[in-house]
Amino acid sequence: MKNGLTLFLGIFATLALSWVGLLLTAHQQIGRLSQFKDPVDETLYPQPLSGLAVQGSMVYQDLGCVSCHTQQVRREGFGADLGRKWGQRGSYARDYIRDSVVLIGQNRLGPDLRNAGNLELHPYADADYFYRLLYAPQSVAPGTNMPAHAFLFEVHALAGRQPSTHAIKVPGRFGPGAGYEVVPTNRAHSLVAYLQSLKDSYDYPIERSRNASAEKPK
Amino acid sequence: MSSQPDKNSQPEQANVSDDSIQQTHAQLLQTKPEKTGGYSFLPLGILGLMCTAVFFGSIYLAHNSVRFDPLVYSEAAKREKPGAVANVALTRAQLGKRVFSNVCIACHQVNGLGIPSVYPPLAGSEWALGNEERIIRIVLHGLNGPIEVKGSTYANVMAPLGEVLKDEQIANVISYVRSEWGNAASEVQPELVAKVRAATAERKTYWTAAELQQVGP
Amino acid sequence: MQVDASAKWPGLALFVSALIWLLLGGTLQLIAAIQLHTPTFLADCAWFTYGRIAPAAQNALIYGWGINAALGFGLWLMARLSATTLRHGGWLLVAIQFWNMGVTLGVLGILGGYSTSFELLEMPRFVTLILLVSYAMMGVWAVTTFSIRNTENVFASQWYLFGAAFWFPWLYAIAQLMLLKAPVRGVLQPVVNAWFVHGLYGLWFVPVALAAAYYFLPKILGKPIANYYLAPLAFWWLVIGTALAGGSRLIGAPVPVWIPTLGTVANFLLVVPVVIIGLNFFGTFSGRYSALAGSVTLRFILLSALAFIFASVLNLAFSLRGFVEIAQFTLLSELRDWVVLYACFSAAMFGAAYFILPRLTSGAWRFPALVKMHLGATLVGVALLTVALGVGGWQQGHLLNTPNVAFGEITQAMTFWFTLRTAGFAVLWFGHLAFAINFVGLLSPLCAWGKKAPADLGQGSSAEGHA
Repeated sequence: MKNGLTLFLGIFATLALSWVGLLLTAHQQIGRLSQFKDPVDETLYPQPLSGLAVQGSMVYQDLGCVSCHTQQVRREGFGADLGRKWGQRGSYARDYIRDSVVLIGQNRLGPDLRNAGNLELHPYADADYFYRLLYAPQSVAPGTNMPAHAFLFEVHALAGRQPSTHAIKVPGRFGPGAGYEVVPTNRAHSLVAYLQSLKDSYDYPIERSRNASAEKPK
Repeated sequence: MSSQPDKNSQPEQANVSDDSIQQTHAQLLQTKPEKTGGYSFLPLGILGLMCTAVFFGSIYLAHNSVRFDPLVYSEAAKREKPGAVANVALTRAQLGKRVFSNVCIACHQVNGLGIPSVYPPLAGSEWALGNEERIIRIVLHGLNGPIEVKGSTYANVMAPLGEVLKDEQIANVISYVRSEWGNAASEVQPELVAKVRAATAERKTYWTAAELQQVGP
Repeated sequence: MQVDASAKWPGLALFVSALIWLLLGGTLQLIAAIQLHTPTFLADCAWFTYGRIAPAAQNALIYGWGINAALGFGLWLMARLSATTLRHGGWLLVAIQFWNMGVTLGVLGILGGYSTSFELLEMPRFVTLILLVSYAMMGVWAVTTFSIRNTENVFASQWYLFGAAFWFPWLYAIAQLMLLKAPVRGVLQPVVNAWFVHGLYGLWFVPVALAAAYYFLPKILGKPIANYYLAPLAFWWLVIGTALAGGSRLIGAPVPVWIPTLGTVANFLLVVPVVIIGLNFFGTFSGRYSALAGSVTLRFILLSALAFIFASVLNLAFSLRGFVEIAQFTLLSELRDWVVLYACFSAAMFGAAYFILPRLTSGAWRFPALVKMHLGATLVGVALLTVALGVGGWQQGHLLNTPNVAFGEITQAMTFWFTLRTAGFAVLWFGHLAFAINFVGLLSPLCAWGKKAPADLGQGSSAEGHA
């Protein structure tokens, strides 16, 4: 390989081959994946997030939640995601077209969050649960190493006034003590709205049939 | 030991010049290694390794890419073309589950047991399992209690859903209720719902238990 | 010697920057590691929350240490092997400052909450152009030095460096375009991200490490690379395979299944070049292991070569679905990338630094004990981390796949491994400090601006000294 030009062309071709073969082809296939219209209730799925939830997804990115949490449910037979009630089915590509930034994640230092707001799987996960989780994770998830995000909240002295309607109830030793209340900031409100919006409960019929296992169920 | 200069402080000794590195290696590329009589195993070994890798790689690619289908995420999925296999159609009850989760679950709960003294259960409920026309009416126009279900009385109100749900959705959700949690009653068809809706088109108020008893058992 | 003289200030600037980033990034990495087993550590301030510190540390190490060190080594080697001086070094110094400024802004941006959440691309958008422009200035140097070369032949190290010089900006620019400027839809984003990450590790860090090994082995051992006629085959096969292997990071993900399958197949095929490169290196080493005792560089290069083999084995393992089912999303996947970045690439760069820096400064290492300490710390740290991430990751994977184990219990079981991991990073950090002190010792005669001639410079001017 004496020739610099040959070397350069080969180097270019290497990357070009992978760009075309991997990225361009994938883009041709799923780059324009669109919502699916359910024939019965004539609704388009996945449904878009509310504005507050979109803001919340930006807070999610800002705080780097993706460093510890994934948002991909592995299918039946590959890992125990369904057994852990992290989803009702494995995730499909179509689930993610509602997210402008796909936060699929690479680490499970914490549980998968793709269905964090799915009350069918987690009936305890209402807004209060998420506020408490963010303020003092140990109060709702003992043994966790999730850091407290107390900076998402404000602690006010009550000084005899009525507590705020937005104040969250924090159990005993995790709270700021008597005479104080913990009120979520707007960032906390939007982040919790985002977490509650995380559910993939619609089962797309096409993906469902195409991904059905080749083996007969036992 | 201390009299000798420590090897670690000496700059690395280079034993050959860069020029000789370039030249020697260029020559190595041009001239083939000498044959020492017989064949050299290494090139054949590498060739064998290459062929094995390509062979097994191709087989793996063929087996695990499932027609390069963009909507398949599982390598264990069926490999036949989708046209050859009929799409699995969801039953009415399966379609109804989604309606139930969106609309009914708040009161009747995910397990169909309701809340004691507040919301009646649907599991084992004679109203759900009995005459379809009664339950269709409840869903269409709502119900004003009291109503006796499985021996307990519930004095509550159920909102009408006739304007919110279409006939097909009502048929689906009732079929779901009638086949879930141990219930085993027949499906309800949208045509029946349409018929009841037409028959009760004038109805403006909620049903009461007494009126429904008159419809049938 | 003219070549070394021409490369002196840019080379030193690059290595100094690299070392500063290594220590800074290492500190951030240490803080993040501590937070895994002691979550209350610095948790009150949003700037130090784990989700911001961990990516900040990674980006500081990759773009601060990684790129600077690779360029410091690469530019010097390109100049040497092209037998030509590095021209217009002043512009290079400007480019280096801009690169460092870009990375500083990027890391601060992540800590301030502007992270993009894409793996290894977390630095906010406003930094992209600064980095690309300053890299272009530096990359142009590598290419023009190559094109005005006075040598007829092109050696293996040059292929790898030339390749890496082009692949990095193309990968980076395309990824930035497809993820941030004109974002692709849905699940294509993780596909592009995986392609970029795999390309960064396999088409930048690995080739630079291989370039170092291909050069220093014959240079120090005085013996040509064994089975060198296979090296071109290994080069092309390695880079083509690596470029297509990005999908293997997406096994089990909601992407069309041919993408991870293609990645897996590419990884199978990579066995061939890894075997050839193993033959090249260990064939050259064979019979000459006694030379290790006299050469720090060689010891680091041996570590790098072993790590390359280990990393390739891990890469292959991570293509097998059975293994991935357990190892995915755990500390094991961190091990896979860390072995490439640290045990393979960084070790090669340390080896190169121990060779190059005395030649650039015409000096000698002042503190031989610190050299030994650096070496020892590297070996101990690599061992600690391999065990912590490997065994810990395996246990983590098994626990994750057992549904009736509550997540809190998993975290409790992992605390020991997290602590071991912190210990490993701490040991490595002290090794880097030792190296830094030695480096400062090397630089300090230069700061005397020739007022007095330091006594130990005599070593450098001997006739057969540094060729």
